[in-house]
This record gives sequence, structure tokens and C-alpha cells, in this order.
Amino acid sequence: MSPDGFMATRWLAILAHPPEALFVITAMLVAGALAGEFIARTTRLPRLVGYTAAGCVAAAVGLGAPQPLSGAARVLVDLAMALLLFEIGSRVHLRWLRRNPGLLATSLAEALLGALAVAAALLALDQSPATAATCAILAMPASAAVAGRVALELGAEGQVTQRMALLTAMNTLYAVLALSVLRLWWVTGQEPHVLAALTVLAQSFFGSLLLAAVLAGAVALAARRLDLRDENAVLLLLGLVVLAVMAARWLQLSTLLVPLLAGLLLRNTTERPWVWPRHFGTAGGVLVLMLFIIVGASWSPQVLVAGGIAALALVAARGLGKAAAVLVLSRWSRCSLRQGLALSITLTPLSATALVMLSDLMQAAPQLAGTAAPIVLTSIALLELVGPIAVQLALRFAGEVGDSPRRRRQES
Amino acid sequence: MSLEAFARSGELSLGVELELQIVNSHDHDLAPAAADLMRLMKGRRIPGEVKPEITRSMIEMSTGICSHHAQALSELREIRDALVDSADQLDVRLCGGGTHPFQHWPQQRIFEAPRFHELSALYGYLSKQFTVFGQHVHIGCPSADEALVLLHGISRYIPHLIALAASSPFVQGEDTGFHSARLNSVFAFPLSGNAPFVTTWQDFETYFEKMRRTGVVKSMKDFYWDIRPKPEFGTIEVRVLDTPLTVEKAAALAAYIQCLARWIRVEKPFQLDRDDYLPYTYNRFQACRFGLDGTYVDPGSGEHRVLRDEVLASFERVGWHAAELQAEAGLQLLRREVQGDGNDAAWLREVEAREHLLPEVVRQASQRWHGKTP
Repeated sequence: MSPDGFMATRWLAILAHPPEALFVITAMLVAGALAGEFIARTTRLPRLVGYTAAGCVAAAVGLGAPQPLSGAARVLVDLAMALLLFEIGSRVHLRWLRRNPGLLATSLAEALLGALAVAAALLALDQSPATAATCAILAMPASAAVAGRVALELGAEGQVTQRMALLTAMNTLYAVLALSVLRLWWVTGQEPHVLAALTVLAQSFFGSLLLAAVLAGAVALAARRLDLRDENAVLLLLGLVVLAVMAARWLQLSTLLVPLLAGLLLRNTTERPWVWPRHFGTAGGVLVLMLFIIVGASWSPQVLVAGGIAALALVAARGLGKAAAVLVLSRWSRCSLRQGLALSITLTPLSATALVMLSDLMQAAPQLAGTAAPIVLTSIALLELVGPIAVQLALRFAGEVGDSPRRRRQES
Repeated sequence: MSLEAFARSGELSLGVELELQIVNSHDHDLAPAAADLMRLMKGRRIPGEVKPEITRSMIEMSTGICSHHAQALSELREIRDALVDSADQLDVRLCGGGTHPFQHWPQQRIFEAPRFHELSALYGYLSKQFTVFGQHVHIGCPSADEALVLLHGISRYIPHLIALAASSPFVQGEDTGFHSARLNSVFAFPLSGNAPFVTTWQDFETYFEKMRRTGVVKSMKDFYWDIRPKPEFGTIEVRVLDTPLTVEKAAALAAYIQCLARWIRVEKPFQLDRDDYLPYTYNRFQACRFGLDGTYVDPGSGEHRVLRDEVLASFERVGWHAAELQAEAGLQLLRREVQGDGNDAAWLREVEAREHLLPEVVRQASQRWHGKTP
């Protein structure tokens, strides 16, 4: 499935022996679900903390996910991310950026300032410019997975929740495009075929856009004829998204860009409200659960040692950069200082988006990714448990969490 | 707190209050953005006022004291435009309608203010289920006694007003069969219904004092009557209207009430009688349930008529006064609706029948509130 499919990883070994594979995956699923329930019952934390913790434990006993992600792990992550990104895209009105220029400025500034801060911090720690640039771009996206899941579980609603979705969709978009440019720069720096490389870039972007348009069109068509609030009809939707992601992988297009653009296109080219169960109901929920387990399992003691101080610097610089941008522009973007503070905290988690981008880069440009990988993986490990808790606290701080955490969902 | 003195106000002056829904732009469910909207409205120059309401997804706008229909309409439009502009910057929408078609009341959150939390503690789920949206119209009265006379006179026209303004057929995702389901929520409150039949302010003060001594009420705010005197403003306040889907309709309804008031004051067309209230709840129910197709029992003659005919006849009765008050454009809008597609409840049902998706119904309704035709 991937060029490095020969890596003797556990996941691939699992794939080669289906019964065992199913057993391990199911065992992980049960462990994650149990841990999630335990967390929800005994604390006020979101379930995904439990899912992630289950993954962390798995990694600690040597069942860590291979890096770059491959095999079943990669497929599960791709599918879950596709659902989350499609959904987050489908909730973002680009018109909002036009009506509220301060918000557009916030979006550009938090992505840029966060990245610059990371690059500066890593350069100060004597990392190479290539490593600093790579880490800066991989640290640009906020976590669509954490943002979406925590908001859903808490039933959060309000300006911070809404802006968190918008900024996350936008910085994911910027990051994927920036990474393509970086790869281009890396390739052309070594071989002088600028035009050929540009063509490849354009092909991959417009190819993604085209595939996204097909998916958006198909979903709009299905939504007009079926009631997508029905759990059975939503399976068709799920199938369409999965199909598009498979096509993206086959055509070597970005599995992040295609679903995100499809969601954005669906929302911004039609007026009709598209409502389906959040995270595609139970089926999507299973994928999202597995996603958090895999992200939780994406570390090893060796990686932590290698990442070390640089990762701490990355996390701190990124947080400061993003927070500074959001806070300075909060007045202009028409939110209160309290909301600005909460919003900047919700951008803290670094999760599956960065992991997928890193995996792609490790496969496409192994030397470029080589030194950046431990730093990014350690950063993800540092934030994977703290991140969701911070988002929850921030949303509570902003007063956007309802009285009852297990409120009924709205789609009925 | 005893009853305050009845303030002086311009005779037949007009004031309009509208409770609005704040909905999100994604699935058009109610959005808790009242505090954000209030923040953005601060410092904007508008003719009237914008205030928070009990839950965080409601906001109230009100005109200043107006003399006639055109003024009320222009003030409503100006406030509406300012609100819509603020809402756009927050990516939320505003919407008319007496109920939100599919909101679930347990999800509503109480606005952060001591009075609202006290009400919530007292009424429990009722206060959240009371996430309904009404239009209140104030009519200025020269004296307190005349206010009570006018109040009981206009009571005969409560069914007309309910049927014209009805815009709440859907509640919690279901078609209730009612044109104004909102009023069913209001009936759940103690002290709703009609004001006691007293026609002098002295008698009213006696009544209020007795009620106050029982400890059941503290101020006029504890009465949820269909029409109640508002001594502080020197007005009577008509409270049975659902918030319509457009500001134009809201101004027209206010103009109709102003015409009725002038007609009753100038022509004194009927004698007030305690027995006027015998068919009151029946008429009210018919108007809520069937809208303009409801039956109207004439309190004087006992005659049964279709409310639609009775409403049209009332437009004729007040015609001369409409000319005097420059309210003809308003009545014309109402007449077109009564003779054409019907009230806002009928429009909402029609959109639902076409789209089969309540969020889309809300989206189109909010387009109308924003002043765009969907």
C-alpha cells in the first residue's frame, strides 16, 4: 500500500494475519472504549482522554504505532480524519471572513506567527533551517480531531467553539499547502526542475479540488433525496467520504485536503443547511475512537529522548505565537478578551493532522523529515493528554458548555 | 412594592417590542449569542433599545415612542439593520416566529443576570420552555381610568390579533396543529389570561393591593395577562402577538392596534360588560388552533362567524381612523395576507411541506427577517 510497506512493523504483521489483526484491533477498541467510559464516569474530562491514554499504554508496552503510519493504522487514521475534516469544513462559512476582516487577520496571523515562533525557537536551539521550517509547518494546524470531539462531547456552543472550528479548518488548509511548497523547495533545491515541480504541485492541488468537488456534489445529491439525520442514510454519506479518500490515496492526492475542501465546497456553494449526526453517528464514532488510540500510541521512549528540549521549545513557542496573534486581534475580530484567551487555548492541541502530514513527508522526503520527526512526535506526545483537557477548560472558561454534559444531540 | 402611579403619555402613541430568535448559521438551531450581540450593539446609535432576554438565544428590540405607523416601521428597520450587521460579524442569524421549530428546551441556557436566575429557580423547566418569542405593542393612554377602559375594549379583538400574528406552528420538531403554539406555553403560567374586569384605576389598585397581600405578586411584572396596564409608561401593553417573520408585519400589527384603539376611544362602539369575557377563552383557543379559519363568537350578539371574515370586517370598521393615523399601508399589508396566503404560520407550513427540513424552514424565515426574500 505504501512504499515502505516492507517495514517489519507490528501493524503490517497484523494485516498479514487477519484473524490476529482483528483480535488486536478489537482488543484496542474495547480497551479504548473502557478507558473512555472510566474517564467520563470518574472525572469531568472528555472521553477522548481515555482513548488516548489507552493508546499511550499500548505504546508503553511496545504496541506503538509505526512511524510513518502505515498499514491498518494509516487507513484508520485517514478515514477518521476524512470524516472530521469533511465535517469541520462543512461548518465553515468563508463569508464570515469577509464580513469580519479582523477574523481573517486572526486566522492568517495565528498560523504565521505560530510558525515563525516555532522556527525562531528551533533555530535558536541550533536546529538546521530545513528542520526548523519543517517543524514550523507541521506545528501550524490545530487539531480538528480534538476540537471537534471535545466540542461534541461537551455540547459546547458559542463564539469560541465556532471560531475554533473556523481557525482550525483554515490553519489546516494553510499547513497542507505550505508543506507542498516546502517539499517543492526541497526538491528544486536539489534538482533544478522548477517548472516540473510546479506542475506537480498544481496538479496535486487542482486534482484535490476536483475530487473534492465530485464528493461535495455527490453528498449534496444524496442529501436532497435522503434524510441524512437518519443513522442508516448517513452510512451512505460515510461510504462516499471513504470512497473519496481511497481515490485520493490512489491518485496520490492529499488525504487531508480532499475531505476538507469537499466540506468547504459543500457549505459555501449551497445555502441549504446540511445536517447529519455529528461525526457520522456510531460508525464514525468508532473510527474517531481508533484515531485517538493510534495518536496516543505514536510515541516511544527513544523518540521522547530524541525530541527532548526541542519539542518543549516548539510547544511553548507555538502556544505563545498563536496566543499573541489571537489576543492582539481579539478586539478587531469582535470578541472579548476572555473569549480571545479561551480561543487561543483551544488552538493548543497538536494531533492527528500533524501526524498525517509528518507521515506523508517521511515517505516523500525522508531526509527532510528525518530530523523533524522526533521533535514533532514528542510534541504530539506532550500535548495529546494536556490538549483535550486544555480545550475543555477553555470552553468552560468561555461559558460555552451547557448545564448537562450529556445533553441530547441536536440532529434529531 | 406597591403599584406605581400611572405615568402620563401621549394619547395613542405607539411603542413596539419584539423578542427575536438568535440562530446559528450551520443547522439554524438556537445559538447562545445574546451577550455577544449585546457587546457589539454597545455604542451603536439606534432609535430604540436592545435588551437581553431570559435565555441566551433571545434578544429583545424595542422602538422609542412613535406617533404613527411609518415612524415605527422606520425605527424597526433601523434597529433590525444594526442587529443584522452585528449578527453577520458573529456568523449568527436573527429570526422572527413565535417559537423555534425544533429547539430542545433542556439545551437552553439562562442569561447571566440575577433576575433571570431567580425566575428560572421559581418556574423551573417552564422558564426554559418559555423560550418563545412575542411582540408587545404599547398604546399611550391619557389617564389610568381610560387605560383600563381601552384594555377591556381591545380584549374583544384579542382573537383577531392572535390569528393575524400567529407564527408558531412547530414546537420541538413537530407540527402542533396550532397556528400559535406559543400561547400554549404562556397559559402554563399562573396569572396568565385576561386582566380582572375593573374599569377604574382605584378599583385596580384595590385588586392589586389584595393580590400583593396574598404574597402571590410583587409587581405588575408577575402578571402574564394578554393585555396589561403598564403604569410606568402610561400605556396598555398588548402581549398576545407572536413575533412576526418581518419587521413590516410587526409595524402593520402595531398600526392595526393603534387604529382599534382610536376607533374604540372616539366612537365608543360598544358598552363594556363583564360578560364580554364569557366566550373569551373559547375565542382565544379557536384563534390559536385554527388561525384565520377559527370560529369567532361575538360577545355581544353571540353570533358565530369565521375569524377571517370578522378580521376583514374590522378593517372596514376602523378604516376612517386608519386614514387619520396614516396607518393605511399597514392595514393594506394585513388585508393582502388575510385575502391571500394567510398568516406567517401558514407560510412556515408551506415551506416545510416543500422542503421537508425544518432547519431549511428556519433559514428561509431568517432570510425574511434579514430583509431578503428567500
